[in-house]
Amino acid sequence: MQIPRLLTATATLALLVGCAGPQPAPEQSGLTAACPPQNATSLVAEQGTLGPTSNTATLQCAVAVLRNSQDPAVRRTALGSRLCLLLAERETNPEYREKFATEGVDFAEAALALKADNDGAVHYYLAANLGLAVREHITLAMGNLNRLEREMKLAVDLSPNLDYGGPLRLLGTLYLKAPAWPNGVGDIDKALELLGKAAKEHPTHPLNHLFYAQALWEAGDTSTLSQVKTEFALGEKLLAEGDWGYNKAPWQKEFADFQQTLKEAG
Amino acid sequence: MRKTHLILLASLLAPLSAIAATTPETIVVCYPGGAVNAKEANGAMGSMLRVVERVGQWQANSFNSLFTAKSDECRQQMAEKKPKFAITSLGLFLEMRATHNLVPVVQPKIKGRTSERYRVMAQKGKFQNLEQLKGKTLGGTVLEEQAFIGKIVFAGKYDLASFFALKPSNQAIRSLRAVDKGELDAVILNEQQFGGLASLQMKTPLEAVFTSEEIPLMGVVANSATTSAEERARFGKALEGMCSDPEGKKLCDLFGVEAFASVDAAVFEPMIKLWDAGK
Repeated sequence: MQIPRLLTATATLALLVGCAGPQPAPEQSGLTAACPPQNATSLVAEQGTLGPTSNTATLQCAVAVLRNSQDPAVRRTALGSRLCLLLAERETNPEYREKFATEGVDFAEAALALKADNDGAVHYYLAANLGLAVREHITLAMGNLNRLEREMKLAVDLSPNLDYGGPLRLLGTLYLKAPAWPNGVGDIDKALELLGKAAKEHPTHPLNHLFYAQALWEAGDTSTLSQVKTEFALGEKLLAEGDWGYNKAPWQKEFADFQQTLKEAG
Repeated sequence: MRKTHLILLASLLAPLSAIAATTPETIVVCYPGGAVNAKEANGAMGSMLRVVERVGQWQANSFNSLFTAKSDECRQQMAEKKPKFAITSLGLFLEMRATHNLVPVVQPKIKGRTSERYRVMAQKGKFQNLEQLKGKTLGGTVLEEQAFIGKIVFAGKYDLASFFALKPSNQAIRSLRAVDKGELDAVILNEQQFGGLASLQMKTPLEAVFTSEEIPLMGVVANSATTSAEERARFGKALEGMCSDPEGKKLCDLFGVEAFASVDAAVFEPMIKLWDAGK
């Protein structure tokens, strides 16, 4: 079925990159008195410190700084888009989530306008934010499937190793969950190839194993059942033992859901 | 009935079937063969139902859906829920028609047609007719409903399971690739899949070895024992206007459905005869 698969696909994008979890409603007004003094250039230089474990206020302050920056060297980076994605993913209010994701798309598009075409991260976060931005709108989501695929392909070509094979994981999951031909870009063979590669080349990321297990399961080949279970167990172990910050809870739910699917199938 | 159209129909149907309802009216949606998680499907359909409720100005959450991709579960839910309206494949309609007093209410119109043809495709020049495919491998998603394919698509002329070596698949593109590689002898496609062939890059051209007669697209069905003629007419009329509604049109456009047409029951009579003759 196509629409449920599409909604699943766009919803799943939320799991792929950053963090999630219930948080207070965000302040949309930008810089507040509570924000530390910082400038965009230093944020870019220290962007490695901002990630799934950063608190929401810190991310919001950083985004506000980036939002107000007109420095092309800053605007050309993927940082603004990445931070918006982190905020969008942890946001439970659909309206706010959409705003963050839409701004993440805007950041990425601004970077592309400044000739960041060869930066795979820009395409990666553009696709992830776009998926989140349209997830509540069926017609928009369907209308953006080809664009999502195109941006993800560019990310795979340019930066396949980013975020533990994130572009492979993202595109592979799109092919796994999206409506299949002739209705959409869904393609189980392509999903198997990309997710298998992600699991093999980036074996420390739990979702790489979970999604590969899901692809194997979806392919319906009974001879791979033991591999499905092996991949699932490996991913579950990595999740339990690793420090995945805010990601842990939503990822655990994804594992639990698939485990339930396996259980129901006997 | 194609998957997308089934879901669209589910969304469009709900507000009409639950006029003045105080508790959600359950719509059973059966789509055999889809590799779909029913929980996810129902969740997604719920999202669509909310859209339709707004479009139809019905109270939010007046409707719910019960989706299943399993034929056995469909039979069970139809028996337990006894829904006034349902959305089924043509095969399941024919099978459950007598038991649940089912009558067709509306059909989708796609590219000006309310019917479709099925085709058996093979590598060009490899097979001249269906007889030459005897004992050969046949793939396709529509093989999930083998009784329907045998009795209706092949008009009862072939015993599907003994004539072919069947290789059902849940993605048509996999079967097509297998035919392209020579791993599969032929694939059976519905109209939508056939129409999408041009978008694929195949190494070997394919051709139709068999083309079925016109087969009506299946849409919404009603239990004629628990719904009145007035209810069914109201239902159908509302659906007929759906694609001209600004919001409804977006959904219709999305899935290539031009309109919903009221059913001429005579269209289904030949199908019913074929089905019954195949017993």
